[in-house]
Amino acid sequence: MTLSDISLFLQQGVLSGLSTGSVYALLAIAIVSVFKTTDVPNFAQGEIFMAGGYIALVLLAAGVSYAAVIPLTLVAVGAITALFQRVVMERVTSSKGVGVQFVIATLGLAYAIKGLVRQTGLGDTPRSLPALVSSDAVPIGDAVLTRLDIAIFVAAVVVMVLIYLMFTYTRIGKAMRAVGMNPRAAQIVGIRLSRIRMLVWAMSGVISAIAALLITPKVLVTPDIAHIAILAYAAAIVGGFTSLPGAVIGGLVIGVVENLVGLFISTNAIVVAPFLAILVTLIVRPQGLLGGKVQVKKV
Amino acid sequence: MKKVTLDHVALLAAFAVLCVLPFVATGYVLYVVNLLMVFVVLALGMHVVIGECGQFALSHTAFYGIGIYTAGLINATWHPPFVVSIIAGGLLSAAIGYLIGFLALRMRDIYLALATFAFGEAMQWVFLNWEGVTGGSNGMRLQPADFFGLKLTNDLQAYPFVIALTALMLWLTVAISRSQFGSALRAVRESDVAATAMGINARAMKQAAFAISGAFAGVAGGMYTLFVSFIHPESLGFQTTILVLTMVVVGGIGSVRGAVAGAIFFGIISELLRQALSLQEIIYGAILMGFMMFKPRGLFADRKRRVARPVPQDGLGGGAMKGSRA
Amino acid sequence: MSDAAAKPFLDVQGITVRFGGLTAVNDLSFQVQKGTIHALIGPNGAGKSTTFNCISRYYQPTAGRIVLDGHDVSDARANRMAGLGVARTFQNLELFGELSVYENVLLGCYSHSANTLKRLLRRPDGEVRDLVDSLIERVGLTHDRNTLARELDFGHQKLLELARALALKPRLLLLDEPAAGLRNRDIESLDQLLTELAARDGITVLLVEHVMQLVMSISDRITVMSFGQKIAEGTPEEVGKDPRVIEAYLGKGAAND
Repeated sequence: MTLSDISLFLQQGVLSGLSTGSVYALLAIAIVSVFKTTDVPNFAQGEIFMAGGYIALVLLAAGVSYAAVIPLTLVAVGAITALFQRVVMERVTSSKGVGVQFVIATLGLAYAIKGLVRQTGLGDTPRSLPALVSSDAVPIGDAVLTRLDIAIFVAAVVVMVLIYLMFTYTRIGKAMRAVGMNPRAAQIVGIRLSRIRMLVWAMSGVISAIAALLITPKVLVTPDIAHIAILAYAAAIVGGFTSLPGAVIGGLVIGVVENLVGLFISTNAIVVAPFLAILVTLIVRPQGLLGGKVQVKKV
Repeated sequence: MKKVTLDHVALLAAFAVLCVLPFVATGYVLYVVNLLMVFVVLALGMHVVIGECGQFALSHTAFYGIGIYTAGLINATWHPPFVVSIIAGGLLSAAIGYLIGFLALRMRDIYLALATFAFGEAMQWVFLNWEGVTGGSNGMRLQPADFFGLKLTNDLQAYPFVIALTALMLWLTVAISRSQFGSALRAVRESDVAATAMGINARAMKQAAFAISGAFAGVAGGMYTLFVSFIHPESLGFQTTILVLTMVVVGGIGSVRGAVAGAIFFGIISELLRQALSLQEIIYGAILMGFMMFKPRGLFADRKRRVARPVPQDGLGGGAMKGSRA
Repeated sequence: MSDAAAKPFLDVQGITVRFGGLTAVNDLSFQVQKGTIHALIGPNGAGKSTTFNCISRYYQPTAGRIVLDGHDVSDARANRMAGLGVARTFQNLELFGELSVYENVLLGCYSHSANTLKRLLRRPDGEVRDLVDSLIERVGLTHDRNTLARELDFGHQKLLELARALALKPRLLLLDEPAAGLRNRDIESLDQLLTELAARDGITVLLVEHVMQLVMSISDRITVMSFGQKIAEGTPEEVGKDPRVIEAYLGKGAAND
């Protein structure tokens, strides 16, 4: 491998990685925001993402114009996740469920979504969503990105900025953070816990749907795309599981690493890379990149 | 102490049924029972590490796989009595389990769960890619096991041995649970800080729990090789771990009866659903959600609680598979 | 008031604890005589809990030695202390929540058996069960014997932790804010119980405490800390009149009143 090869691979890997990584970042934000507010790691994240793709397909197949499909998909997925929280998770809470039981409930959601998608019959063959932006090549340095790749990155960044603004400046965003820090205190100052939890789940659904709409024009829609959840989790962990900015950085890092591994090692190694990333991060630096100090249990 | 008598009755009844079954049931039914026994042992292993010791080890299937491949390879190479292959698989899984247990010394709850999950998935990748040893994506043939001249070539022949092994592992689990070692495991689960103050070596307990659950999973893998002739790594991933976790949680976390009941219940459900192919996932998902919504503590919640006074309705988000953020 | 003649049961020698750039405890020394009650007091952040955690070996001091009954335990592992007769309670309560009152206290007896594999496989015998029941009775929790620890109310939980600590048959009892959150009535019972433990059972007691009424009532000696250092030491009377102590708690102005 010559030096110019290495330089080319690096540039290509980083640039492509930033594009796909921005989508992982969105999903990581979805995971982390639900975890921060409700203390539940959502193990149905991949299936929710996949549902976004298939809902869009169903709507398109029904003849709805693409312009309408986009908002409808976001609303549909947001409604599913909000409903799940309001109907299922709240019930688990009132039945005195704890930790692992919430996780199993999300697994139930994952199976249910998988099954429903299978019912549509659309999963039998890979399908694609129309792209709004062309796949014309755009050379950057030695590397080549498509206009679609760049559009994905830009759109994802815009969404991330909006989310940041929401969390920092709006009342709802602050309420979500408050509930995450201390539910009892939040309740005392008048925040309705069940409403906030439902909203954060709705938001995570909408973000997942956006991620799906962004990347599925580039990648085919199959039931397997739910596996993206692993990359999203790796991103969240690398970034610091309780940090939203960390989720963004983590997503970009994972995207870049995934591409570099594929270019420099093998496509097979790509499969195991996120698992190694998770293990290494948790062993060497459990708080990830931006997770703040590891809190030692106060004795 | 009524519960003890009920257990004895249940065990006796189960034993009676299991004795009669080979004479009246088809080969398929015997296969299912053998498979259920494997699940029972897997669930018992998970019970020890998660239910007794409170360590969320989601790497379980990795040790199951190690048990299967070890027993299968030893059997194919040397044809010893199957007990040898199974013990070897169990020991190797225990050793690797012990090593993975180091993770539990560094992290807890969701982080431990994610780390062990990552290890389990990485292990599946190894199974898929180490063609020389596991046959990789072509899978591996498992030759009939040997028992002092008798070759176990079908479900019926494997049946009594599978039952016997299950009974042994069940006895072991109960012995652990009732011993002071079991008390120490539970103390570590509840508060490893306080357990330390009691003189318990919390670190050693956690690693022991990992080793023991690894051993159980490895033995379950060995049992599997007694009546199944082919193994492919695609069944050795997170799906299986989740299935076993569900068995333990729906059965009732912390309860041996729960682990057994959950294994049988969900083993049967997942086998039945395999027939109803199209709706299987939806039904399965609904069952999971339903149980968590209405009976999250499981079929056999660990104790009959004598509530001294009304417990305040918390409703504050179910507090966590708490993270290492204290 | 020289105790130099009698060998101290607990001898804390010049311990210093540094966390990164912060010095939590600075060259602290004090001694506790056998069968006495010794209190460690001081404003918040004084380093009392840190000192406590060093003595019970949850933290490793950066410098200094801890000598228990003549044996240097400075490097002992935390879980060795139970076997050496050191029991402790926790500021934030560390009960075994899903276990019953009985099971909690029973675990206190874990360290009784010799350190062999047999201990792990055996089940507790009658003598142990009697001890557990008598301790539960001593703290008045008999009717809650089978209640889960997490279902008790706060005051009872503190009593449970104390009973569990006593089940270790300790020679040294370390109590971390035992009176915090207790009602006056319960503080009086605690007062009686602790006095009895020292006088009748010969247990040495070291407590960290903010509730002055209890401290002044039961302590034989008091060590006062502020910002990681010892600023005063003596009997309750001596310490109560010490201007440095008053200043540490109430500020410079108050000391001059």
